[in-house]
Amino acid sequence: MKMTDVMAYTGPDEMMFGFAKKPVTTRRGLVIGGGAVIAEVVPHPRPGSEKTMRTLLREFERANEDVLERCVNIGVPSVVIENEHVFQMTDNAKWGMEIAALATHQIREYEEQYGLKAAYRATIADIRKPDMVNLRDSDRTRKVLEAFDACARHAEIVSIESIGGKEIFDHAIIRNDITGLLFSQAVLGGRDMAWLWPQIVGIATKHGAIPGGDTDCAQANTAMFMAAGFTAKDVPHTLAALCRAISVSRSLVAYECGAVGPGKDCGYENPILKAITGLPMSTEGKSSACAHSSLCGNVMAAVCDLWSNEAVEYHRLFGGSTPAVFAEILSYDVAAMNAAIALGYQKEYQACLIASDRYRSLHGFILCPDNAWSIGKAVVDNNESYYVRAKAAAMTCAALMLADQQLRFTTFEKESLLGYLKEMESLPPTEANFIDLCLKKYSKVKGFLPAAYGL
Amino acid sequence: MPRLAIAMDLGTSGFRAQALDLGSGEMLSTAITTRHPLPGANVIDHLHFALELGVETARDLMIQAINQVIAQLRVSAGDVVRLAVCGNPTQLSLFQGMEIRDLAFAGSRKLLALGVVPPKRAAAIRSAVEFPGLVLPGECAVIIPPAVHDEIGADTLALILQTGMLQDGETTIAIDYGTNAEMVLAHEGRIYTGSAAAGPALEGQHISCGTLAIPGAIADLEPVGDKHRLIVLNPEMRPVPGSLIYLREAVEIAAAAGPKALAITGTGVIAALDQAIEAGLIALPHIRTADSRLHFGKDIFLTEKDLSEAGKAIGAVRAGYFTLSVAAGIAPAEIHTAYLAGASGTYMDALKARRLGLIPPRVKAVRQVGNTSLAMARELVMTPEKLQEMSDLAGRLQKTHCMFALSKTFASVFILELSHWTEGMPMAKYRELLSRYRLPDLPAVDAEPQVHRTVKQDIAEPGRIGLVTLEHVGMVAALPLDGCIGCMTCVQVCPGNAISIRQDTNPPTIFLDHALCNGVACRRCEPGCPTKVFHLNDFFDLTLGRKAAEDDSARSKRWR
Amino acid sequence: MKDALNTAPIFTRYDLAIENAQRRTVRQVSEDALLQHVADCLVAGDEEETQKVVAEVLNDRAPLEIINKGLIPGMKEVSRLWDLGEYFLPQVILSSDAMIAGIALCEEKLGRTLEKKAKVVTHTAEGDIHDIGQVIVNSLLRVAGFDVINLGADVPVDDVVEACRVHKPIMVTGTALMTTTMTAFPKIAARLKQAGLEIPFVCGGGAVSEDYVTSFDLGIWGKEASQAPAMAEDALSGLSWSEMRTKWNG
Repeated sequence: MKMTDVMAYTGPDEMMFGFAKKPVTTRRGLVIGGGAVIAEVVPHPRPGSEKTMRTLLREFERANEDVLERCVNIGVPSVVIENEHVFQMTDNAKWGMEIAALATHQIREYEEQYGLKAAYRATIADIRKPDMVNLRDSDRTRKVLEAFDACARHAEIVSIESIGGKEIFDHAIIRNDITGLLFSQAVLGGRDMAWLWPQIVGIATKHGAIPGGDTDCAQANTAMFMAAGFTAKDVPHTLAALCRAISVSRSLVAYECGAVGPGKDCGYENPILKAITGLPMSTEGKSSACAHSSLCGNVMAAVCDLWSNEAVEYHRLFGGSTPAVFAEILSYDVAAMNAAIALGYQKEYQACLIASDRYRSLHGFILCPDNAWSIGKAVVDNNESYYVRAKAAAMTCAALMLADQQLRFTTFEKESLLGYLKEMESLPPTEANFIDLCLKKYSKVKGFLPAAYGL
Repeated sequence: MPRLAIAMDLGTSGFRAQALDLGSGEMLSTAITTRHPLPGANVIDHLHFALELGVETARDLMIQAINQVIAQLRVSAGDVVRLAVCGNPTQLSLFQGMEIRDLAFAGSRKLLALGVVPPKRAAAIRSAVEFPGLVLPGECAVIIPPAVHDEIGADTLALILQTGMLQDGETTIAIDYGTNAEMVLAHEGRIYTGSAAAGPALEGQHISCGTLAIPGAIADLEPVGDKHRLIVLNPEMRPVPGSLIYLREAVEIAAAAGPKALAITGTGVIAALDQAIEAGLIALPHIRTADSRLHFGKDIFLTEKDLSEAGKAIGAVRAGYFTLSVAAGIAPAEIHTAYLAGASGTYMDALKARRLGLIPPRVKAVRQVGNTSLAMARELVMTPEKLQEMSDLAGRLQKTHCMFALSKTFASVFILELSHWTEGMPMAKYRELLSRYRLPDLPAVDAEPQVHRTVKQDIAEPGRIGLVTLEHVGMVAALPLDGCIGCMTCVQVCPGNAISIRQDTNPPTIFLDHALCNGVACRRCEPGCPTKVFHLNDFFDLTLGRKAAEDDSARSKRWR
Repeated sequence: MKDALNTAPIFTRYDLAIENAQRRTVRQVSEDALLQHVADCLVAGDEEETQKVVAEVLNDRAPLEIINKGLIPGMKEVSRLWDLGEYFLPQVILSSDAMIAGIALCEEKLGRTLEKKAKVVTHTAEGDIHDIGQVIVNSLLRVAGFDVINLGADVPVDDVVEACRVHKPIMVTGTALMTTTMTAFPKIAARLKQAGLEIPFVCGGGAVSEDYVTSFDLGIWGKEASQAPAMAEDALSGLSWSEMRTKWNG
């Protein structure tokens, strides 16, 4: 498989929300990235509803219906509904399939009755636990693939948040160990995806579904959430920013294997991936505060094609159920972006989104389109191996942060960053040597099985 | 020796009687039943029973129940010199054992084929001796008020006279909400009457968890935030606060010190529908809760089918007053005052009922007047000359009675109602179609009318000796049944819980509580009997000494 | 602000879209403006106007053309709108009346009556005058293309049996609001059976219960008037009364 060596966008100025170089069209004719931003609403079932298939089915039916109904009631032209699998839906493919079948049936009814254009994304749960099973050969692995096969029959888009490398990442992140992060995210994550994704693409294509994309939720988002807000001290924000840059190397693998977007919402690396691939991306920010807090609530919308809420548990609010309420919130966000496009003010609107977060936090800074594009450029220019391109992304990310006059660090953040740079500079230049080093260094980490990554 | 009188309302859902001292006019005591002694819940059921078992059987059972009621008045029956009854044509005819087939069949073709000559049903003063088995002295006068028509009887005359609606000067309507909703419209000195076949839903019957107005019945709901407080009838039939509930779910939030709710009655259904519509829980024809039900605590609920039944009943009432308005040449919105009578009319929240359409939309005043039938009977025993006034009124009404079943206006409006309640046709479309039919408009309700609740209960004053509620009226027939194997099938399938069994006799003895029986049209008890020995009609033979072999010839003999 | 802002990607007025869709479909009934005018009147449920327009159009178009390309497609459009929940029962009845009036004019001109799908005899029980249910059944059956032999209300048992003997309908219906009158139904069923007429007998209305109707041969309980057309289609396709009972009851 060829590693990407060219940027889809010639520069950051070309990148705009609602527009992707290579839009995708669902089997029901919904175009994503074709000149308009679309809301992607993600309801999540209440705890306890997963006890039986019937209760879970009803929970999703209610939630998805609420979304569709609200969209019609406030005049939303198109919407994507994502259902992220809870364990049972993947563990028992029939559950996931029944829910996907019902959801797409609901979507069909709304299209027939009102002309609402909608699509359904099924995100399979990666129930392979690297510290428990062999990622490539276990019952759980087979169940993941079965779930893809079952859901792709009905869903328009399929995705996953794959977790290759998670066992090393968990070990490394609490030790502020940049070497371990490069190894877990880029080398192990990338290798696992290169094994998994051709199979996903094959299954999806067979059923006419769109292989969406993957996200490094399991690792880069863990780092970001541990770094958390301004008062937290567990992980320096600088390290979380580097993790994000590194994650590009592995998340890109999905697209190199044939995924065509839209990338999955919680991939905060998606602006960088969009710069590289030109494929449509789903992102989330302020309207996903229902799921977690972030320091980049507006800037994440700057180049999005789908605008998501991450996940909202089903509850009743004064304004309706949470899925209905979030469908409305997202849709008005999206309507403003589309109105900016219609008025020709999209650059100005994008500038506002960027400016409000650019210097708020490091994560916000590196995900601004200009910096995102530069990090992407470093990835494609160093297309020698997952390790080499990941390290280049991290080094570029560090350089961008240090070079900006307006960006400010706490002493802790700055000192840590300089330390990571020094450590990365001392690492072997080639992936083969780096792997040798890491296999020795992490051989004792509980559950780490090199063979599961073909090592 | 005191000269006593008894006033009695022979209602379709139960009897209500009061004893008075004729000399002083003092009210002495009251006795009421919670059911009618004959099987069934409406006049058609009662008529059906009389057709099957003979009108004499029906009369005898009624008289026996009347005796039970008189006993509960706790006065000396031998001192009673006057009895006045009031009620609809069916009840008064059954009481007298007279021709009822003109009431049982509405079609003239059928009546002609049967050779039925509808009796006059004029006012009469008879003597007790003419009523076999009645416990009153033979020379006691029995005052029977007149009927206007097969649909409009003494009860309606009572409604007109006791409300005083004719003295109002305004355009007024009086409605007695029952299985047949009798209504009277007075406009510019003319009186228009009609009787809408609303069905039993407004009395709480044919509703999943429904009941007639009895102690423990939910009679109303009061909003408390996003919850509701149940208003339940206590043992004295007074509405008192009950539990706090959440319409959306089967939970009881807080139990009250008041009586426990057992079921929901018609006025409770009305309140529930109104409140659910207000809360956005009803989008006709659907209930928009997780399980498509409205809940009143853990075990009491309304289904979408109940909603449809209640809707059709409300629709029949609205189509009824609409039709009377058109007959009078006015629009329903021009009706100024509404009088609500009967148990439902007493306990219903007039504002909620008006929002649902049970009361004309633009009335300025509502008067809830209680049981006018009993009041009429009371007046008749004290002043028998009133009988002439009733007869005069009856003569006037003959010409302006409106047969809804033959009215094109009623049919058009009722189909609109049917569509509104069962298909969810919006009121805007309803009104648009009214104008297409060249009928007057039915505007939405406006500012709240003045509500005068003249009575707290449908019987205002029970008297010195007090009120007795007779829970078990009528007869329980005991029949040792040859061939019965005691399998309990009949006991289990009976929807009214009317059947019980004693296994220690040989053969087993089956008991049937007439008052609880759903009527001879139900008969779910018969087909299940594995030995085919259960015959419902056998249980109505008053002597029960022998097994009556009912066949067509035997029955036709009774008609003579 | 730019003028003529393209709002399509920003929001959709579904309410207007629904309204437009209705207008659009009605327009699509016929390319012929005259026949379309006929259909429009019918879809609007305007009986007088339909009569007037049909009378005019009969000068230029053949009666059969008006029926087959104007009135019937118009009625199909009404049925479709009813299925969609856009139209309601009273509107269907109005349109049905308009259709009957229009067809009557065409048949007059044609000099003969038109072949219908099949005959259905309807009646309201002897002794009963509450016939709203039957009125609805009649309309819906006519909309579905059946020839309704409407015996009206308060119909003696003999008359129902005789009508079935003469007309040989595929189905007969009985409506009763009062339990006192529904007792005519088993009598009719028995007489039909005796006469060798095993016609599905759909009984419904007010007090008529499923238990009661399924207690005698030929009887099929009709829960709602709106089921009548689908039941008649079943009878037409050759389902026996017992097969229909299995399908619709229990």
